[in-house]
Amino acid sequence: MARGSGNRSRLLLIILLVTSLFFITLDLRGVSLTKGSRSVAQTTLAPVQRTVSDIFAPVGRFFNDIKNFGSIKNQLTAAEKANDQLKSDLIQAEDTKGQLAQLKGVLDLAGRGKYQVVAARVIARGSAASFSQTITIDQGSAGGIKTDMSVISANGLVGLVKNVTSSTAIVQLISDPSFKVGVRIAKSQSIGVLQGEGTNTFSLQLLDPAGTINVGDSLLTNGSDNNHPFVPGVPVGQVTWVDHTTSTLTQSGDVKSYANLNNLGIVSVILSAPTAAPAKALVPTPQPTVTIYVTAQPTPVATGIPVPGAAVTPSASPTPSPTPSKKK
Amino acid sequence: MSALRAGISLAFFFLLFGIQESAISLIHFPVAGFSLYLAVAIALIAFEDGNAAIITGFIAGLVLDLSPTSNGPFGQWALILTLVGYIFTSNRESIADLTSSPLTFVLFVTFGVSIALVTYILFGTLLGEHNGSLSRDFYIVLANAFWTLIITPIFLPALSRLRKLTLTSKERM
Repeated sequence: MARGSGNRSRLLLIILLVTSLFFITLDLRGVSLTKGSRSVAQTTLAPVQRTVSDIFAPVGRFFNDIKNFGSIKNQLTAAEKANDQLKSDLIQAEDTKGQLAQLKGVLDLAGRGKYQVVAARVIARGSAASFSQTITIDQGSAGGIKTDMSVISANGLVGLVKNVTSSTAIVQLISDPSFKVGVRIAKSQSIGVLQGEGTNTFSLQLLDPAGTINVGDSLLTNGSDNNHPFVPGVPVGQVTWVDHTTSTLTQSGDVKSYANLNNLGIVSVILSAPTAAPAKALVPTPQPTVTIYVTAQPTPVATGIPVPGAAVTPSASPTPSPTPSKKK
Repeated sequence: MSALRAGISLAFFFLLFGIQESAISLIHFPVAGFSLYLAVAIALIAFEDGNAAIITGFIAGLVLDLSPTSNGPFGQWALILTLVGYIFTSNRESIADLTSSPLTFVLFVTFGVSIALVTYILFGTLLGEHNGSLSRDFYIVLANAFWTLIITPIFLPALSRLRKLTLTSKERM
């Protein structure tokens, strides 16, 4: 009896393993059935993710806040004093303000780069069931988003659109180990390749044997043909460490991203960009000295907050101004 | 395993998948992440005997393969969790009755989650996937094991009760 049961188990195992391998083969051969099933799952999950994100976003940030508690202790003390004056404000209003700040930052960057962008809200982060680093945004093909479009935050490049459904898109973050982007150093114009490593730092490898990297160098995207997948001139990060060993032909180093990938609330997908690179103008600086005119803005809702998703063509006027001022 | 129970398992895994992808993925766990789906799936596999464990593993893997954020091919998780189901069912008797010892059960689930993740990395590497550096992967597996160890005892009693509700009178015996 036991032997018979064991044989049945082994037969069942073989059947199921062969079925699994069949699915894997179909997927690797690019059969649309398997790709489509994930797309259907994403479309089905999108409304749930959006609702849950609205309700539980503060809970989701709970662990992150604990993690960063030590580093922001001083800021917290100051914030507590300020908080006394804001007791009457609702938590929802604060959340909305945060989203507005991120949206404004993204539009500022898009305006300086003369990018046509569509703003989107992050509704989920990559599942712990996989090793990829992704976020899900609440805008899809209905908002003009296609695969291989650059995604930016207020401070710089965030990633690349990997999958799109009608109402959502999955963005592969620059920290993903399989992410690679061509970059150039703003100061020396040397070009290189930046690769994600699954952490907050990335590796940079110069392509030019004569080129040099210095700590503090700012990196911008080098751009691709027809601006896809990467538009030129988007700030990527800053060099934090340089490998001075002579074991490789070209120099390499570590880079820290300008964008805070752990705290993404609002991002923008670049729909189109000017062919000329905006060069160093987009590198984040503590106090920008340009006047920004945003000629179009997302449709306001009842709360007065621009709705992520409305396509925006912010026009930038990098005219030097005696006093920093912003005007919408 | 009856067709009815297979259907119930499929529906349950779909529900769990929705919770994992929409709610759990929003939580920024310190020291990497936690997969509630994987922990519950391994626990359910551990509850089952013989063919039921293998079929439960296959169903759980197939649903997990639907994850839009997964970087592996469709079928990879089905293959891995089927294997885990087989390994569990062929070694269960040597570990004694897990349900009578909750601590052993939790350790068993934690071990199962770690094994599943390590197998996923190894299989992914064979298929040419980029899963990051070895140290980072080790860190993620370790962190997942840590959270599974902490969180599994919380949902285990409810999961055990829920499973008993789906058993037929014949299976209860």
